[in-house]
Amino acid sequence: MAESSLDVLLKGSSGRNTRGLLRIIILLTIAAAAVSSRLFSVIRFESIIHEFDPWFNFRATKYLVQNGFYSFWDWFDDRTWHPLGRVTGGTLYPGLMVTSGIIYHILRFLTIPVDIRNICVLLAPGFSGLTALAMYFLTCEMSSSPSAGLLAAAFMGITPGYISRSVAGSYDNEAIAIFLLVFTFFLWIKAVKNGSIMWGALTALFYGYMVSAWGGYVFITNLIPLHVFVLICMGRYSTRLYISYTTWYALGTLGSMQIPFVGFLPIRNSDHMSALGIFGLIQLVAFAEFVRGYLPGKQFQKLLTSMVFLVFGLGFAGLILLSVSGVIAPWSGRFYSLWDTGYAKIHIPIIASVSEHQPTAWPAFFFDLNFLIWLFPAGVFICFQKLKDEHVFVIIYAVLSSYFAGVMVRLMLTLTPIVCVAAALALSAILDNFLVLSKPDPEAVAKASSDDSKSFRSSRNAVVGIYSYFSKTVVTCSMSLYLLLFVAHCTWVTSNAYSSPSVVLASKMPDGSQFIIDDYREAYYWLRQNTPDNAKIMSWWDYGYQIGGMADRPTLVDNNTWNNTHIATVGKAMSSREEVSYPILRQHDVDYVLVVFGGLLGYSGDDLNKFLWMVRIAEGIWPDEVNERDYFTSRGEYRVDEEATPTMKNSLMYKMSYYNYNSLFPAGQAVDRVRGVKLPAESPQLNTLEEAFTSENWIIRIYKVKDLDNLGRDHNNAVAFDKGLKRKRATKKKGPRVLRTE
Amino acid sequence: MRWCLAFLLCCFLAAVNALSSSGSRLLVVLDDSTEKSSFSTLWSDLEGRGYDVSFESPKSDKLSLFEHGERAYDHLLILPPKSKGLGPNLTPKHILDFLNKDGNILLALSGKSATSSAISSLLLEADIHLSNDRSAVVIDHFNYDTVSAAEKHDVLLLQRPASLRPDVKAFFDGEGVLALPRVAPQTLGSDSPLIAPVLRAPNTAYAYNPKEEVPAAEDIEATGSQLNIVSAMQARNSARFTVLGSVEALEDKWFSASVKAPGGKKTTTVNREFAKQLTAWTFKETGVLKVGEIKHHLATDGEVALHDLNPKIYRIKNETFFSIEMSEYSYDKWVPFELPAEDELQLEFTMLSPFHRLNLEPTSRTETSTVYSTKFVTPDQHGIFSFRVNYKRPFLTNVEEKHEVTVRHFAHDEYPRSWAISGGWVWIAGLWSVIGGFLAFVVVWLYSAPVADKTKKTQ
Repeated sequence: MAESSLDVLLKGSSGRNTRGLLRIIILLTIAAAAVSSRLFSVIRFESIIHEFDPWFNFRATKYLVQNGFYSFWDWFDDRTWHPLGRVTGGTLYPGLMVTSGIIYHILRFLTIPVDIRNICVLLAPGFSGLTALAMYFLTCEMSSSPSAGLLAAAFMGITPGYISRSVAGSYDNEAIAIFLLVFTFFLWIKAVKNGSIMWGALTALFYGYMVSAWGGYVFITNLIPLHVFVLICMGRYSTRLYISYTTWYALGTLGSMQIPFVGFLPIRNSDHMSALGIFGLIQLVAFAEFVRGYLPGKQFQKLLTSMVFLVFGLGFAGLILLSVSGVIAPWSGRFYSLWDTGYAKIHIPIIASVSEHQPTAWPAFFFDLNFLIWLFPAGVFICFQKLKDEHVFVIIYAVLSSYFAGVMVRLMLTLTPIVCVAAALALSAILDNFLVLSKPDPEAVAKASSDDSKSFRSSRNAVVGIYSYFSKTVVTCSMSLYLLLFVAHCTWVTSNAYSSPSVVLASKMPDGSQFIIDDYREAYYWLRQNTPDNAKIMSWWDYGYQIGGMADRPTLVDNNTWNNTHIATVGKAMSSREEVSYPILRQHDVDYVLVVFGGLLGYSGDDLNKFLWMVRIAEGIWPDEVNERDYFTSRGEYRVDEEATPTMKNSLMYKMSYYNYNSLFPAGQAVDRVRGVKLPAESPQLNTLEEAFTSENWIIRIYKVKDLDNLGRDHNNAVAFDKGLKRKRATKKKGPRVLRTE
Repeated sequence: MRWCLAFLLCCFLAAVNALSSSGSRLLVVLDDSTEKSSFSTLWSDLEGRGYDVSFESPKSDKLSLFEHGERAYDHLLILPPKSKGLGPNLTPKHILDFLNKDGNILLALSGKSATSSAISSLLLEADIHLSNDRSAVVIDHFNYDTVSAAEKHDVLLLQRPASLRPDVKAFFDGEGVLALPRVAPQTLGSDSPLIAPVLRAPNTAYAYNPKEEVPAAEDIEATGSQLNIVSAMQARNSARFTVLGSVEALEDKWFSASVKAPGGKKTTTVNREFAKQLTAWTFKETGVLKVGEIKHHLATDGEVALHDLNPKIYRIKNETFFSIEMSEYSYDKWVPFELPAEDELQLEFTMLSPFHRLNLEPTSRTETSTVYSTKFVTPDQHGIFSFRVNYKRPFLTNVEEKHEVTVRHFAHDEYPRSWAISGGWVWIAGLWSVIGGFLAFVVVWLYSAPVADKTKKTQ
């Protein structure tokens, strides 16, 4: 009885309904798992915005919510990049802020009063649920297997490669961009399959949304044309392709040009030229197809080859001409560093100085993707077996993104979706073959073997398959084990590696209890409460967004590194002698200087460890005044102890880091715990700055810039006088006396 | 009650009217009371101008320039002590702290005895130098008083100084002859902009230590007008510090002595007048500038509404109006500030470096102030700019005004519309011709459908 009632549910049309319902429930569960695994950071710490860039996004969102859309669009931010300011409204990707602004207003409309901060904190987890859903749709297009989509959705939901950028509080562009990326690709596949203008237009719509949200949209801009190009080269041109591509390109380009930051880039920048070129090519191909219908084959061949050569030659010459004449902007530096990993180090230190632009270390692949990374090639292989249009897309995507992920750590993010698709394809193929219990019909087997004599030997055993329960059990069990391990690994990685806000640091006390190091916020709140509203803070650019967001004070440079010279100016001020730095500080109206010093705690991400980048960036602009070699000892070592070079010891950064540090230790025993060295017995002397604040663990030190001396002396003499040293009369001057004239 | 308050207010007003612009508490540091009597005219003159003069000996334990961390006096007059140094309560550090807290100081030196090393090192901080052995006296064989110093030639007879430069106001000029006995000369460092000579020795003067026989040639540091008899320093906070080389010039007997230059007539000195000018300047009765209202707004024809005044943000290429109101204090009242003949008051519109540096023109005058103003167009560069008026001249208190404003870019709807740009007409024409052409094509296409073949039907 029970069996038959189950049959009612599982077979026929009601069976389809049941499976559909199950599918929805599974997808919802996956989305819930994706959201909840990202809440570790809120539970461990608190509902706080993480890291650096999110603080800017958060601040921009607050501005949007307070001042409305149009003033956000025209926002001139006078609290960053002092005194240049930043045309923020025109130099950001507004998608993220506008999305959370809309959510905020909808909730307000529904009379659910939610703090905008909570929306910002929880936006990334919320969108990760949607990403899992989009992943399901995308994978369902690739495979007829019912399990592939669900597996891909589950993988996408919890794989650390994606979680690393989307935990609660990680309010960055990637939070919504990955969803948009996956969904745009799904719509594109749909458009190519159906040859429908509607799907093409939808692709363009989501592409426009993607452009408004993340600079990584260039990946789509290049991947879709490449897909089309490869299909054309494979001789798979069809009107479906023509319709979907032209619709997408025309509408998508128009849409992307509405974003002020993008503007005319799609027709002027080399990064976008492939899309334009393919647009032209597909017109020619379409024309050729049209002509073929009216011409005999031989003539057509001639015409085609001559035309291909002509057009290619003309197009290439035109591209070179326009690039040389400057109409088309040259490739951006970030782009070059994708091909030559050493490029940035030599030419653009500011790009190379960011840790997430470094090449990926190989364990990171396993760390971020676990067993998916070895299912990935198998999945790509399965795509080769089927090789429909959409499988070509997967293959291209897989090849490109694996290369990019190897070049830059942060591009692991674009690799993750395709790894999930491919791994799901592979795993579903395995499960579909090994989970089915039924055996082949004995009659069919008998029939097949009875035909033996008539056919070739190779086709004799027509019924091929795995029928042994043993092998089925072993494979299924081991796969389940891998899946379980994967879940355990993801949970472990998420909770241990990717859930730290990096604004608040956690460490363990000797007894194992958690110890929260909250120096950043302590210092930023000190600034907020003890300095005038428009006190200018100078710090290295890493902390610009945080100072703007948490301390609400104007900064000189921040993480939007649009002006290299300004950053180099700050670098020069940090790496020069006080006599050189002070005029720079005065000119830029600096009131306070903030440095991060990890020496007491052993916090290695401090400014002295980044110091060489400051020197390098400053040297790029002032090669005569700043010289990296001067900061190394004669044996080429970077030292901060007794044997540090005079340039090092006199640099403002060194002085600010170690000023008064030895007062914490018994005489002559000051130790820097990051660099593990003993420091000189005497504290460096600061003349033009005075210590204003040092946080509990000495991580943040803030110095106030002194005003000019009231009596017109230089600060050396003024400080010497205050210390009670008598001034020497400069009687014996060389050369003739200088007479005073009025 | 009310009349009581009114009375108090009147008292304050009276007190304020008769006084220096920065307070009336004057401390005179001098050795003993016998010395005090020889300056009695000076004291009565100062008290007559409204100062509360108190006297302290440098050795006194009660002497303290500060009380509860604040200045106990507004002005300080130091006469040269007989003993070595000024004692533990008047170290150079105390005196500089007094200056840093806006106190004014008049320091008198004397050529009679060597100046103490403490004072010498104090002066050194201000880049004012004394002679090497600190006991030189200025001698002039052409401008001396034949009555009192026929032999030693150490009482100088000088005219009161005219203005230092054509663009600097004169605060110490006038008719008459000054008698300056036994001057301890000062020389000024060559690069400090804060110090200025008030009275320079004549070209024929030189410094010489009378106790030594012959000055060695290499010891001579300065001669002629490089020697200062009175020099002044105005710190960045406008606190004033004046060094007078000859304390005797302030004594009663020199206030109205009759003197005679070689080959000249017998005249009475104007030392009393000069002492008044010198103390008035040092104690901020003259040469004090005050900035009144500063206004900046978009240049409009009519009256500016209050909420449009001093906006925080401008746009690039805005026409902007700036005005500043300036008063000058003259002994007992504020008067409109007039620029010296060859000087200009300038406005800078600055971001890192000035984008505009414009002369401010006097446009209107009130009873106590002059309003200077100018109009200009903000540069085509967005950023955080500041209106700066940086007017620093010798003998006038420093005016340093800095008002930060933001200059933003064009908003999205502030650019000229496409049809307003004649160069855009080509593109607009192109756009509409494509749209029109397409519509025409559609219409033609729809109405030129092939006529259904009727003949076939009939068959």
